Amino acid sequence: MVDDDLWSAVGDPTRRRMVDLLLSHGGGTATSLSEHLPVTRQAIAKHLAVLDRVGLVHATTAGRERQFHVDQAQLARAVAQLADVGAAWDSRLRRIKRLAETIQRGADEKRGTGTGSTPAPG
Amino acid sequence: MEYGTLEREIHIDAAPEIVFDVVSSPEHLREWWPDEAEFRPGAGGTGRIGFGDVTRDCRWMQFAVVDAVPPRHFSFRWTHPETEPAVEGNSFLVVFELEAARGGTLLRMTERGFRERGWDEAKVAAEYADHVTGWDFYLPRLVTYAPKVGAGA
Repeated sequence: MVDDDLWSAVGDPTRRRMVDLLLSHGGGTATSLSEHLPVTRQAIAKHLAVLDRVGLVHATTAGRERQFHVDQAQLARAVAQLADVGAAWDSRLRRIKRLAETIQRGADEKRGTGTGSTPAPG
Repeated sequence: MEYGTLEREIHIDAAPEIVFDVVSSPEHLREWWPDEAEFRPGAGGTGRIGFGDVTRDCRWMQFAVVDAVPPRHFSFRWTHPETEPAVEGNSFLVVFELEAARGGTLLRMTERGFRERGWDEAKVAAEYADHVTGWDFYLPRLVTYAPKVGAGA
C-alpha cells in the first residue's frame, strides 16, 4: 500500500464526494452514486476502481451490481496523516503569533507609546 | 483542497518586520519549532535544524533558505538528504508570505512536496518536529479542514 496512491485517490473532489455519499448512505453502487453526482455511471465505476485499489472501499456482489462500502480504518489512516501534518503547523503558527506579539508589545513599551497596543507603522 | 499542499493563514498583532524576524531567524526558529537551528538566514543559506537533546539523541534535518525578501517573503526547503542540494522531489518547501493588515500582519504559510514524496515521510517529519495529537479521525473534519484553521488561533 503506497501512500502516494492513497492520497491521489482522495485528492480528487468527485472521489471525496463519493466517499461522503457511501458513508452517509451506508454503501452504494455505481448506479446509485451516479444519481447523486453530475458524472456518468462509467466515470463513477472508474473512480470506484481507484478507491478500491487503495483499499478505501470494498465491494461485495449483491444481485446484479457490485455494492461498495467505505473501509473506515483505511479512511481514518488517510485522514490522520493529513491532520497530523496540519495540526503540527497550526501549533507552530500559534507559537509564531505569540512570539511576534510579545516582541511587538516589548517594542511598544520601550518606545513609550503609552497604549501598549499601537501597532508599528506598516 | 489540494492534498499536495498544506495552507494556513493567521493574523498577528505585530509589524511585518517583527513577524519576518520571527519566521526567518535561527534564534527565533528555535522558539517556535526545532530545538536547534543552524543556518544563514539569507537567500541560499544552508544549514540544519535539530529535534531533541543535542548532547544525546538530537535528530538533524537539512534546511536550505530558498528566498528571503524582508519583510514580505521567506521560503525554505527542509528534510532533503545531507549529500544533495534541496530541490523539488527531495524536500518539503515552506513559504511564508507577509502582508501588512489591520495594523498588524497577515501571515500566509504553505507547505508543499507531500505528493511528490509520500505522506508517510511527511507524517514522520511532523511527528519528529512536534508532539501534537488530538484530531478526530473523521471525514466531516477532513471536509471542513479548511486552509483557515489557523486563523482562529
